[in-house]
Amino acid sequence: MILNKIEELEKKAKYIRNQVLDMCCKAGTGHVNSAFSCTEILVALYYADILRYNPQNPDWEERDRFILSKGQASVILYPILADLGFFSEDELNRFNQSDGIFGVHLQHDVPGAEITSGSLGHGFGIATGLALAAKMNMQSHLIFALLGDGECYEGSIWEAAMFASHNRLNNMIAIVDRNHLCVTDFTENIVELEPFAEKWRTFGWRVVTINGHSFEAILGALSGFRSRKFAQPLMIIADTVKGKGINFLCDAPLWHGLAPAGQQAIDAKNELNKDME
Amino acid sequence: MNNISQRDAFLNKLYGIAKVDRNIVLVSADMGAPALDKIRRDLSSQYVGVGIAEQQAIVLASGLALGGKKVFAYAIAPFITLRCYEQIRIDLAGMNIPVTLVGVGAGFSYEDSGPTHHAVEDLSIMRILPNLRVHTITDSVMAAAFAELSCKAHYPNYVRLDRETLPTIYSEGDDFSSGMARLRDGKELCIVATGNMVHRALDVADELAKHSVDVGVLDVYTLPINDTVFLNTIDNAQKIVTLEEQTLRGGFGSSIIEVLSDNNRFVPIKRFGLDFKTAYCYKYGGRKNIQLLYGLDTQSITNAILDWVK
Repeated sequence: MILNKIEELEKKAKYIRNQVLDMCCKAGTGHVNSAFSCTEILVALYYADILRYNPQNPDWEERDRFILSKGQASVILYPILADLGFFSEDELNRFNQSDGIFGVHLQHDVPGAEITSGSLGHGFGIATGLALAAKMNMQSHLIFALLGDGECYEGSIWEAAMFASHNRLNNMIAIVDRNHLCVTDFTENIVELEPFAEKWRTFGWRVVTINGHSFEAILGALSGFRSRKFAQPLMIIADTVKGKGINFLCDAPLWHGLAPAGQQAIDAKNELNKDME
Repeated sequence: MNNISQRDAFLNKLYGIAKVDRNIVLVSADMGAPALDKIRRDLSSQYVGVGIAEQQAIVLASGLALGGKKVFAYAIAPFITLRCYEQIRIDLAGMNIPVTLVGVGAGFSYEDSGPTHHAVEDLSIMRILPNLRVHTITDSVMAAAFAELSCKAHYPNYVRLDRETLPTIYSEGDDFSSGMARLRDGKELCIVATGNMVHRALDVADELAKHSVDVGVLDVYTLPINDTVFLNTIDNAQKIVTLEEQTLRGGFGSSIIEVLSDNNRFVPIKRFGLDFKTAYCYKYGGRKNIQLLYGLDTQSITNAILDWVK
């Protein structure tokens, strides 16, 4: 499914946010605001002719590998995979249920998912291994990894960052969902991550900073991404808002990992559709 | 394979296999050894250095394996296990990715280096991970065999190599698939040991024979234990002794107790290993001296068994 127009992508983002909200409210769990900060990023990757994939053959050898390193945001990936036909949309109704195939964190045996992810600082390093294997095997597919900014407190992220730039893994594109928020507080209040872009540049990455909710900006950052004009791996720091789309979820630390319930769920649904129209 | 270390036997064998199977990749966390240098020099495209970064070694190995490579990750035993345990748990065991971890320095192998370099809890924590198998190597013949067996594994492996060059017990061509071998027959008592302590068990059995104690010796080198084979192999031993250079809590002897208990075989058992409270050793003077301090020398074990059986 390829959407060529920005309006179509925005409409799809609205649809996916609704799916996430329905799924999480019904289950009474799920990281809604972590999903909403990276909605445009995933919609761009899956619907704007960026990622190569085959829903009929999830293990297609030539597919690009999308590694969701911030595994708590799996609730954004599952509705997209269902929408694309990797598995039945009925599965979204069985989220976290006894007869379902997935729970809150990403698991490797869900069709279309590459790894199990939930503890942070793992997926990004696995992506470096996939990228190196692709180079060794002379394969042309690309490796994409989506990280959370809070995930970048993990030392293993920087071990992998050094390795990727040293080994010129320019078949690797990483995106940090820079929503500025962890579980309890803003990153700059906990331990400063800034100057964040500079840190990545110092670690040998080519860095682009964008508005992570703008499809024009995301697609602009990925322009010509298959040509591998640069030797370094690419890091896109996507400036985002945690909970984007629902005001009372936005930038609200204590909503991490929660789904709205009762009247708040109704309010969230109304606001999401009102604001997005 | 006398007078060759387990490390060199393993790496030399791997070198020979990797020369033919170019899909094999060795990930090293800044380790040096002549046998390793040969791989780095002659098979440079199959050698990947990550620096002193064991977490990266594991996740990189996971990704390489998912990308179709047969991967070995090599470092000092405590560092390739405890330092990166969550990566092993989630990425290797959790997804059942067939990577072989190679840890040099089982037990007190690095006798001169203090507790940072001793591997005295690694067996305990690694053996509890689903999907993963732990192989504690007894001699250089077994080391070479496990380099080959690991290439065919469809599950994660952890190979524990002793740093000491130990006498050769096995012969080339021996079958190591059962995970254990009865080295000596005896009805009255069976000593079940692993790794370096297998050699001690044979010495103790010799001593006990002088006191007319009929002792069998069983080398269990793969965990989890194959229950059926184990129960058949210990046969009708009236008492069991376990020997390990590990903390006793959750270690090798514990795994033997679990098998016996789970199968309703209630045999008196005595474990020899490291006391929980004193397992971090800040003493030196050679491995034999350290073993003496922990009562793991031949005479101490022999005396303790004699007191127990008589």
